[in-house]
Amino acid sequence: FFGSDLEKFITSLNTYRMGPEPGCHFNASRTQQILQATLDRYLEGVCYSPDSCSQLCQMLADLVLSKLKDVNPPRYKLVCQVVVGQSGKQGISVASRSLMNPNTDNYTSAVFQNHSLFAVALVHGMYFE
Amino acid sequence: MDEDQSAEEVTDTKIIIAVESTIGNSSYQHSKINQWMSGIVESSLSQLTKLGKPFKYIVTCIILQKNGAGLHTASSCFWDNSTDGSCTVRWENKTIYCIVSVFGLAI
Repeated sequence: FFGSDLEKFITSLNTYRMGPEPGCHFNASRTQQILQATLDRYLEGVCYSPDSCSQLCQMLADLVLSKLKDVNPPRYKLVCQVVVGQSGKQGISVASRSLMNPNTDNYTSAVFQNHSLFAVALVHGMYFE
Repeated sequence: MDEDQSAEEVTDTKIIIAVESTIGNSSYQHSKINQWMSGIVESSLSQLTKLGKPFKYIVTCIILQKNGAGLHTASSCFWDNSTDGSCTVRWENKTIYCIVSVFGLAI
């Protein structure tokens, strides 16, 4: 029980933690507020254009993720998806379902719409056991 | 790596089968949308759980009517690249676009 065995023992030391600490759960309402505020701020008055919107979409996804990383409780993984589309007369439906632990995991979504485009942002927070 | 790639292909195929069996050759009908969405997402999730891997899954489905309008979707994830992954499948017929994204997070 020396040398490399000891190193292995130290790196995978058990924390004996079965779930997130009380008060350290994924906060769905705060996340929703952050999502909605980000969408409103960055998409206010923006017009849909096929060239710039793909970059806009990716930028929004990265931006939302960086904002959420600050408020993210420890041991939580985040998945953020942003859909941006042109406001035409078409019908669109976005749905999501997940296989997760309802005690520790949650999700939020936010929608923004103006005269030329619409945006839907979806964030899932999953506890990493 | 080979195992990961073949697992992704298997997932892709299963999702395409799930979508085709639910929507198949139908045209866009506003009244049937909820039913289609639930059908696609449920069958995708059940196919994934049958694989029996220690993963948590998120399945997102977007159904869009073909009307000439543009659509972009992007995702960014805060996870462990070595154990977690995602795959996106695009399917279309004459009147419908369907985009299904699957995210798998290791427990």
